[in-house]
Amino acid sequence: MPTVARPEFDPELKAGLAVVGGVFPPTVTVDLIAFMRKSYASPPIEETLRGRAIERRDETIRGHRGDAVGVSVLRPVGVTEPRPGVVFVHSGGLMFGDRFSGADLVLNWVDKFGAVLVTVEYRLAPEFPDPYPREDCYAALEWVAASAERLGIRRDRMMVAGASSGGGLAAGMALAARDRGGPRLCGQVLDYPMLDDRGITPSTNQFDGVGVWDRVSNETGWTALLGDARGGPDVSEYAAPARATDLRGLPPAFIDVGAAEIFRDEAMAYADRLWTAGGNAELHVWAGGFHAFDIFAPHTMVGQGMIRTRDAWVEKILAD
Amino acid sequence: MQELLGRIAALDPQASLSLRVIACFDELIVGNVNTRGLLGAAASLAGCDAGFCQELPPRALRVTAKGALVADGPPCPTSAVTSEGITVWLDRTGPAHANDAIILERLALAVRVRHGRGRRDLESRRELGLLVDGTVPVEERSLAAARLNLVSGARYRIVAAPLFAVWESHPTGAEDVVATPFGPVHALVVPHDHEPVAATPSGTGLAARVENLHRSFSTAVVALRLCEPPRIPSVQADRYGGLVGLLADAPTDTDLPDVDSLDQVMTHVWGPTTLDALVRAGSVRQASRLAGVHHSTLQARLDAVTELMGFDPFDGIGRTRLGIAYLIWRLRNSRVLDLPAPTYSDSKTR
Repeated sequence: MPTVARPEFDPELKAGLAVVGGVFPPTVTVDLIAFMRKSYASPPIEETLRGRAIERRDETIRGHRGDAVGVSVLRPVGVTEPRPGVVFVHSGGLMFGDRFSGADLVLNWVDKFGAVLVTVEYRLAPEFPDPYPREDCYAALEWVAASAERLGIRRDRMMVAGASSGGGLAAGMALAARDRGGPRLCGQVLDYPMLDDRGITPSTNQFDGVGVWDRVSNETGWTALLGDARGGPDVSEYAAPARATDLRGLPPAFIDVGAAEIFRDEAMAYADRLWTAGGNAELHVWAGGFHAFDIFAPHTMVGQGMIRTRDAWVEKILAD
Repeated sequence: MQELLGRIAALDPQASLSLRVIACFDELIVGNVNTRGLLGAAASLAGCDAGFCQELPPRALRVTAKGALVADGPPCPTSAVTSEGITVWLDRTGPAHANDAIILERLALAVRVRHGRGRRDLESRRELGLLVDGTVPVEERSLAAARLNLVSGARYRIVAAPLFAVWESHPTGAEDVVATPFGPVHALVVPHDHEPVAATPSGTGLAARVENLHRSFSTAVVALRLCEPPRIPSVQADRYGGLVGLLADAPTDTDLPDVDSLDQVMTHVWGPTTLDALVRAGSVRQASRLAGVHHSTLQARLDAVTELMGFDPFDGIGRTRLGIAYLIWRLRNSRVLDLPAPTYSDSKTR
């Protein structure tokens, strides 16, 4: 047995792992990418939207290099005046998932807070390595700003949000928007974000073979994105925002993470560095939480707590 | 979690979902989770509301599949389970789903334990868990065996498998989920002369009479942890004779210099295949055939192994030292309980 010290999982979450482990093994290697693309595919979006006053429109935009990239625009039914906009980036370790993965958790922002949510089918590694994923996302952000009138989105109240790999990409979008003179953002929601390709934090090494998304999985994901460049000197801060040296002038950040997951330390470090740079950040570390526990076990007390706390922050920023 | 169960079933139609439900509630009971949490888990597993009420003092609770509290209502008449003044139910509209019965059974037990009614249930664990725990007095284990209809004097084996194992054929016999330091294990009792069980991955323990079935279990777990699917889909403890018992007894965190040295050998890309060949072969020539390399290549690797280990693996006691170090290294590095061993396409094409 490994003798690495690590925080225990919350009992409700630990029980959930008896089921979660069947679709999401703790250690994802290259040979499991095909399995994960099946097991982590989102359920039909029609089912997710059933019973909600949300209308969906699919559009095709020009992504990186002008290639076609799909987006879905989700808006409250029957609202005609301009609404706040959210560009949402899905989870899946940069290698799997689709634009509706984890979407059920952000739909409250649409039908409760009246936001228009644009979710991006960014292209996945390893077939599409860096910069495809991040530039597809950034292209979507620029598209939303450029199409704001047609989409009924308030250009003065736009936010980026993402979970896991999507959280890292959302943080990268905020950096790129600042540096490239892109859209002004009112917030960035970074759920247990994947920020650092270097794997240098203590928490990275605390959870080998347990929970969801361990060190090896993380190496698999970053290698898919960056190849041999992973961990080296030539990685863009838009791909791995932990590498950004200047965190000034960024929109308010909401960061949440589990205490029992490898991203704990890089999430805390990012929040800390935002504060040091004079920024506005809110950090929540959930005791006993494995990676993405709100997606896998939203019924648990700690899952409810995470979702409620995040939604309260988003409401504060977005709602009229 | 109902949706996740559905995905598991879609990925592997033979997966045992009821065992996952049992393992889930086992953790909830061990973790001392409260009634709301238990109802939330049941509702999430079932995909519909779950409810609880008690007579004295009057109290009721209803939780949705998303974990939200909702206005309590009367128990669902078709699914309500009442025991010791506590009633639980699932608000299923339409016919019951396949896992409803096991969810309700486990929920009822877990709620009773949480309310202090079921202390006896907690202390007297389920029969198979008792049977394979050597620290339980032998009289209790014999009683548990009798309740499982196992015959005193007859010999049996325990088959150990992860919850996600793929069973090509599933023998009938006492089975349950048993907690181990390596995670929950699916344990199944078969007669000692049963044909090898075709489950990937799985380990089959040594044959034993009912009062020694804990030995069969511990050796089955060692055998399971020696599996490396797809190369080694299942392991029979018999293959390792008395050695497997020693491995089962060895504390997992003991300081073993030979195993530490082997760590260095295994950092070479040729390490695992070469070691496998060395422990199986009687000569350098035979080892080179097994490893599929020229014998001069193997000789060079053997020299490196001798250097790193500090002894000659082909020399007398050196063989034994290397063999044991190799097996313990494999146990320490076993990932068989972590991964969904068979890939999606494998389980479909069979």
